[in-house]
Amino acid sequence: MAPKQTTLSRDLLIAGVALLVLLILPVLWPSKALSDLIIRVSAFSLFATSLNLLVGYTGMVSFGHGMFFGFGAYCFGLSMQRLGVSIPTALLLTIALTAVLAAVVGAISIRLKEIYFAFITLAFQMLLHSLIIAWVPLTGGDQGLMGGIPRPEFLGIDFGLESNRYAFSVILMIVGLLALRHVAESPFGYTLRMIRDNPERASFLGVNVFRTKLTAFIIAGIFGAVGGVIMAMFVSGAYPEFANWTMSGEGIFMVMLGGISTFLGPTVGAVILSLLNDLITRRTEHHGIFLGVIILVFALGLRKGVTDFIADWFQARRESAGAQLKGGRQ
Amino acid sequence: MVIRDSKGQPQEAARVARELVNSDGCEILYDAEASSGGFAVHEVAKDLGVLCIHTNSETSSLTADPKIRIPNAFRVCRQGIHDSIAGGAYAAEIAKAKNLRNWATCSPDYAYGRDSTQTFMEYLKHFYPEAELKTEAWPKLFQPDYTEVITKVIQARPQALYTCLWGGDLTSWIDQGNIYGMFSQIQVFAVNMADYTALTTVKNLPQGIHSGNRYIKTFPNTPQNAAWADEYRSRYGEYPTNWSWQNAVGIHFLAAAAKKANSVDGTKLEEVLRGLTIESPFGTDGTVTIRAEDQTIVNYAIGWGTTIPQEPYVPEVKAISWETIFELETEWKKRNNYL
Amino acid sequence: MTGPRSSVGCGVPALHGRRVYFSPRCNLDLAALTDCFSSASCIVTQTTSGLIIGLLLFLVAAGLTLIFGVLKVVNFTHGSFYMLGAYFAYTVNNLTNSYALAVLAAAIGVGLFALFFERFFISRVYGANVLMQLLVCYAFILILDDAVKIIWGPEFKSMGMPDIFQAPPFFVAGGIIPVFYLFLIIVTLFIAVGLWLIIAYTRFGTIVRAAAVNPSMVSALGINTGLIYAAVFAIGGMLAGLAGGLAVPVRSLTAGMGFSILIESFIVTVIGGMGSIAGALIGSILIGLVRAFGSIGFPLFVEGLMFALMAIILILKPSGLLGKEG
Repeated sequence: MAPKQTTLSRDLLIAGVALLVLLILPVLWPSKALSDLIIRVSAFSLFATSLNLLVGYTGMVSFGHGMFFGFGAYCFGLSMQRLGVSIPTALLLTIALTAVLAAVVGAISIRLKEIYFAFITLAFQMLLHSLIIAWVPLTGGDQGLMGGIPRPEFLGIDFGLESNRYAFSVILMIVGLLALRHVAESPFGYTLRMIRDNPERASFLGVNVFRTKLTAFIIAGIFGAVGGVIMAMFVSGAYPEFANWTMSGEGIFMVMLGGISTFLGPTVGAVILSLLNDLITRRTEHHGIFLGVIILVFALGLRKGVTDFIADWFQARRESAGAQLKGGRQ
Repeated sequence: MVIRDSKGQPQEAARVARELVNSDGCEILYDAEASSGGFAVHEVAKDLGVLCIHTNSETSSLTADPKIRIPNAFRVCRQGIHDSIAGGAYAAEIAKAKNLRNWATCSPDYAYGRDSTQTFMEYLKHFYPEAELKTEAWPKLFQPDYTEVITKVIQARPQALYTCLWGGDLTSWIDQGNIYGMFSQIQVFAVNMADYTALTTVKNLPQGIHSGNRYIKTFPNTPQNAAWADEYRSRYGEYPTNWSWQNAVGIHFLAAAAKKANSVDGTKLEEVLRGLTIESPFGTDGTVTIRAEDQTIVNYAIGWGTTIPQEPYVPEVKAISWETIFELETEWKKRNNYL
Repeated sequence: MTGPRSSVGCGVPALHGRRVYFSPRCNLDLAALTDCFSSASCIVTQTTSGLIIGLLLFLVAAGLTLIFGVLKVVNFTHGSFYMLGAYFAYTVNNLTNSYALAVLAAAIGVGLFALFFERFFISRVYGANVLMQLLVCYAFILILDDAVKIIWGPEFKSMGMPDIFQAPPFFVAGGIIPVFYLFLIIVTLFIAVGLWLIIAYTRFGTIVRAAAVNPSMVSALGINTGLIYAAVFAIGGMLAGLAGGLAVPVRSLTAGMGFSILIESFIVTVIGGMGSIAGALIGSILIGLVRAFGSIGFPLFVEGLMFALMAIILILKPSGLLGKEG
């Protein structure tokens, strides 16, 4: 991954334009299906990008990232239902609690290497999932949080309006992605890459590998949970399926399909997978076969994510242009 | 009719329900989801105000709890509380006759399993206070290997056992229980036994399992019910299931409501559906009613009988009186502050 | 909201009281557990119960750990192999009315399928990111689950007990040992010993062990490692298919039945050590016994116990009880 010369202002510009486009879109093209798609992509984009902070940037393969998605959804839902707070307060509370969960899980898991780290994150996720299903008085068990999530007014914004909820989801996504981008392109982010490429060397250079990985794990957990919050608002509830291994699996596929080596790869993957899912389920009930075959084509044919493919292609062109230039000078 | 599959994921159910109404122009939602999917669709119905018919979710709070109930959603399937009261009443009679004091339970560990088992034991003790719960086993839902729960139950030497296992779980549990000789030692009460999928799939169905009805051709013992079952079988090549009759009665209600309201507008249909009584082969007295105050069906055939290993599997089913059910259901609602 | 503690056991619901749920505190029933340990019949019954759970699990986990040990691939499709074995056995039994043929068909059929899967799909992602391998395996899980639904129908199926096993159970010291389970225990122990003999004493076994440690050297010695990999994958798949076929009389068949066995075999391989078949044996019997006795002492937390055990092993000795370091 060649470090690009990005500046904060360039990212802000892109983010601003994207936000504008997304906010104007429902006015220009009023399709509820499209808005629903964008809201879901917002949730999954944060989820997958935060996962990639671990997988792509730090080299930590986590099988249990879904635990944060689910935990975020339940924290938010329960705060709104039981504590009657405003939406931003519930969001902040969710972030705080998720940080604690991530810290505890991370502190135990990060000491393990590679596949064992993956397994123990999976184990923790399954434990959380079992807890959610078993603790019926709190979570509703396998029925999920029943009764809907309240939508109280905040600062004059009526969250009962679908358009306001859409705007809120989109803003959360853009802000979240910006924050993650900032982390990825900061010196901390480059330390993560160094740890991914050569952890021994990193530690010789004085980097506290454990503490850095733990911080990355906590940040990833937090943004995974924010994705869960967006989804909870969309379905007006929280369900144990959000914390199931299938959710972790979907996150991994979005990252792999979209591209592990670019920042927007996971978001692209989220868009691809959601579109594929919508199109396939609209036409057939044998979605397993179709989705499976398409995934195989990607995995065995491209053998890398879509944006990886594109990035490599550009790189190859640049190199051949450079070689031509050198050849010409000689 | 536009048919979609939610893959068992509640966020998919929500998305699909919204798409059906927003993009595909559907005016009535027919929800055959269970548990979490059903509640997800319920929220969509709340948001969009569209008429929604739940045909599968048995969680009582969906309609009993006034905080969850909405005016445009109706439930046309059986309910957990009805099953438990009926089961408790029936089992108490048998327990009194055979002096079955020591009980065990073996149910899957999820909301339906816990609720159903717990309320069954409550009502069993209500009718037969001498009953005592000696041991409980809680396998995981869809657990393939029941060996450890079966041996645990057998060793506690209960005289009777209640289980709300269903479908494939019930079948493998019976298969595995058979090789331990469980059914010769214990009187088993399985609320979900009398369903053709379970009855026809188990190869060595023991004699004498007390079974609650899901759908069985012999109950109600009327020519209309038998005719419906035969027609279903000739059309689809298999016996009807619990889901079959529930979805059928849902359509019957919609058709009757449309005729009565002379319209297919959702709001008009809602008004008519509340309190609507129709003639139905699945009714305990030939009719089924959607109760107006909580928009769920009552008076459907509920009963228990014992199994034999060949057709008709459950030859005689004893109907449970709806008066008993209503009385105890009201008291249950008051207890839970639903009234 | 908690229920009253009863001297009889846990969770006796309050009558006409408030809505009661079985609280986590109601989980412990140590009295019942100690009672069991002091009763010979209980020990016999529960130990056999633990053995049967463990040994069936061992067949599946052995395949998984073998594939990982030699090919360094985590075969997430392993649960689907088990499922295919069960369905193959069901069909062959329907056609021939012979349980023996059914089991054989399950083993061979899945072995061949595993071979096909390895040669055409998995071999393309050797050495790639483990997530790419996961992607390929997951794609197959999706495809196979749907294929099973299309070919055999979405309704669950049941084979029933073959007539020879429909005899009353044995009683040893008052404890119950069903005939079929005794048969399964003997067969799986036989297979376990056979596996060990092959790996430890045959030339093929030596090559496989060498390929696990140093594949390039093995190939430099003129042995076709591709063939070895294919054979190992086929054997691993065959073991899973065999387990599926053997278990059919006491299981109901449905798409997705492989998932829980997959998770359990992961737990076993982690506990026993990835790559160690002896470790898989110890791990599975341990899990079996934990389930058998745990269901008496901790009825609501058996699943959690297994994950907790896995977490403890991962923390104390990540390579597992008998696994190799690094």
